[in-house]
Amino acid sequence: MSDFVFATARYESGDWDSAPLVPPNIIDTIARYTSIDVAPTGVVVPLSSPDLARYPLVFLTGHLPVRFTKEEHEQLAQFIDRGGMLFVDDHNHDIDGAFHKTASEEIRRTVGPLADLPNDHPIYSAFFHFPDGPPNTGHELNGWGDNLLHKHLLAVQREGRIAVLYSNKDYSSEWGYHPDNKRFLAVDNTRFAVNIVVYALTR
Amino acid sequence: MSAHSRVARTRAVFTLTALLAALVRGAAVATLVFVLAGALDWAVGLERAARLVVVPMALSLGALVVIFSLWRARRTLNLGAVALWIEERRPVLRYSLVTALEPGAAGAALPDLEQEVHGVGWGTPVLRTASWAVGGPTLLLLVALAVRAALPPGVVSRIETPRAGDSLEHPRRAAVAGANRLTPLVATVTPPAYTRREAVTLEEPSSIAALASSGVRLEGRGSSAGVTAVLGDEALEVMGTTERWSVIFAMPPRPAAVRLGDGGASRVIVLEPQPDSAPVVTLASPARDTVFREARGGVPLEARAADDIGLTALWLEYIVSSGEGESFTFRSGILARRAARGARTASLRSVMRLDSLVLRPGDLIHLRAVAVDGNTATGPDTGVSETRVLRVARAGEYDSLAVEGAPPPDPDASALSQRMLIQLAEELQAKRKRLARKVVVEESRRIGADQARLRKRVGDVIFSRLGEAESGEESGATMPRPSMKPEELLKAAEAATSGEGAHALDFEGDETPVVAVNRPLLEAYNAMWAAGRELEVGEPGAALPPMRAALAAIMRAREAERIYLRGRPAEVVVDLAKVRLAGDIDSASAGMRAPRARLSSSAASRAARLDAALLMLRVDPAAAVDSLALLRVDALLETPRLAAQLAEAVDSLRAGKDATTPLARARREAAGAPVVRAHASEWGGAW
Repeated sequence: MSDFVFATARYESGDWDSAPLVPPNIIDTIARYTSIDVAPTGVVVPLSSPDLARYPLVFLTGHLPVRFTKEEHEQLAQFIDRGGMLFVDDHNHDIDGAFHKTASEEIRRTVGPLADLPNDHPIYSAFFHFPDGPPNTGHELNGWGDNLLHKHLLAVQREGRIAVLYSNKDYSSEWGYHPDNKRFLAVDNTRFAVNIVVYALTR
Repeated sequence: MSAHSRVARTRAVFTLTALLAALVRGAAVATLVFVLAGALDWAVGLERAARLVVVPMALSLGALVVIFSLWRARRTLNLGAVALWIEERRPVLRYSLVTALEPGAAGAALPDLEQEVHGVGWGTPVLRTASWAVGGPTLLLLVALAVRAALPPGVVSRIETPRAGDSLEHPRRAAVAGANRLTPLVATVTPPAYTRREAVTLEEPSSIAALASSGVRLEGRGSSAGVTAVLGDEALEVMGTTERWSVIFAMPPRPAAVRLGDGGASRVIVLEPQPDSAPVVTLASPARDTVFREARGGVPLEARAADDIGLTALWLEYIVSSGEGESFTFRSGILARRAARGARTASLRSVMRLDSLVLRPGDLIHLRAVAVDGNTATGPDTGVSETRVLRVARAGEYDSLAVEGAPPPDPDASALSQRMLIQLAEELQAKRKRLARKVVVEESRRIGADQARLRKRVGDVIFSRLGEAESGEESGATMPRPSMKPEELLKAAEAATSGEGAHALDFEGDETPVVAVNRPLLEAYNAMWAAGRELEVGEPGAALPPMRAALAAIMRAREAERIYLRGRPAEVVVDLAKVRLAGDIDSASAGMRAPRARLSSSAASRAARLDAALLMLRVDPAAAVDSLALLRVDALLETPRLAAQLAEAVDSLRAGKDATTPLARARREAAGAPVVRAHASEWGGAW
């Protein structure tokens, strides 16, 4: 079994599978730049399952309102307490959107309130250097969603490490393409995913 | 005044004297009990439970003494007894007084008797006796009152009104406590105002359990100078006067310890915060997600909420999501709201008018109930119900609406019918020789008609699976496929069941699974045809083999694996080797990384700390108790059972009792389950 398996969270409400090409793209990126023993395919893990604890990093995305069930709430709280890291991306790229409002509320209820993550946080130098903070996405630059260029990611930190990393930048759209098409890009836009994975595995 | 009147007056004096003496004696006894208890408390310090009974006991004893004294003085009510008492003190009367009072004394002798009595007075002995009777108890009462007045004020109040926390008022302990001001110690816990609960006072607490953010006041005797208090890593301000010191802080949200210090002495108090639970909210109606064909009418809503302390409000909120793909818009609002005003339970009913929400086809309504409690200290805490999703169907999906899934047809019903037909045929075959041919044929045809009805039902199932609403056998004009007539279909079915032409129903190769699923039923169908033919000609014996074959086929169909066709997302498998060989790092450079530190085993750490504390018990018991208390702080969250055992052990050690049992249990909890080996380990060393 591989050391690292990319896990996507499946939750009862909303459209958890709105970005099916993000996991293979991130797996491709991990394999491309690191020697991490990564599994060639990702897995889908129910947020209400104890299996959540088997994965150090869990990815959660969607467009629709997020309402955790009691079991999802409990398992996610346990996952975070045991050192797991949840990466949440707002596929709506809209801070007025229902996903952001409901997901951030559920995270606050389950883990704690989200706060701005400073752009000099170690996650921006965990592998590649991102001196200006999180890389912008085409959807932000094109004025989609809330028409904002988000300067920071949000996070809930526990004892000095990121427990929940939250993005309004819509990496789900930015990274949602077949990895074979990466060769058409002048600069790989998924490099930040390496930092997220490396950070989750080393902190 | 007659002799009778004089004796009656003397009796009244004696009665009054007896009553007064009894009351004074009772008061004296009650006061003495109070004084003795006070002296005992001053000397050794009585427990509050013992002090609580002092006043009732003193009053009870006093009342008993009063009753006993009155009982003893009952003779004073008797006129003859009083006259005799006077005769004893005045022998000169020579029983003339007693005689004058006798009921039979009358007539001519009475004036003489009265004359003899008239000249004798007995006021002096009566007054002397009355003075003695009242004076003694009065003196005793005065002495007792004097002693009570001499008792220290703290002792008096501790006996008169015992209450939690009055150990600080004990004067003798205060004097002894000069060397260590950490004992006695009183904690007053004031719950947050929103709970409307009263403050609780604890004496000599080793741990304090209270709602998070409750106000805690620790108080002790003596000056505050030199007394230190540390909560976690934070030093607390010690306030007070020359007689009392106190520390005030709020109950932290997580378990912690307060370490008090006075010179070389220290004392640890464990703080156990009890969180205010969030409200539990249930959305009773609608009970499940559903789909509406049209956004009209009303949906009844019902929500219930409960909280451990008190609710503030309960409401129903919704989010309407419109759009699809990458384009969504949202609207949200509150449908109904009610104030709970601190009630521990609340319910809310309302009706959601779909017309008023201006819904369009495809819109989703996310509905949930929300309740908040009155926690103004660390909250308010919010509880939410499960979210129900109500959807308005799009025009094109009307045919696919299946809100309530219909139960599958019961295969047992068909199988039983086939079994019954077989039984009927077997019975007919068994008595065939005894029946006329005509009767046999009639019975056989009757069974054949039932067999035909059953065959039609099986045919319905097969044809409906092939996409037709009814059986092609009877409808004639409606074909399963335009290119095939029923006879052709049956031929194809026969071919399929014979195993020679599995592709007979494989229309262009795209319906193989359907044929595969239907194969047992097709077999049954054909077997029923064969059985029916034999039954029609009055041959039940010949019909039995195909009937049994039909039953076996139906059973196989019942046990067949169900195949549900669903969409499956395309799975992308990354060719890792290929990716790694074609890696392109662009212009990025790798950053420095530090390896993750090895995680420490908290369980092993706790076990080691417990061992160290137990070793310390022999050398420095006070420090060992503090170590156990601090270990309990860390154990409260992760291993509450260990924390409970440690609490019992700490309490026992502080009370000077044997703590072996709780410490042994704590050791077992800390060490975890024992390692069980299947066999004895091999001997080692020199043998």
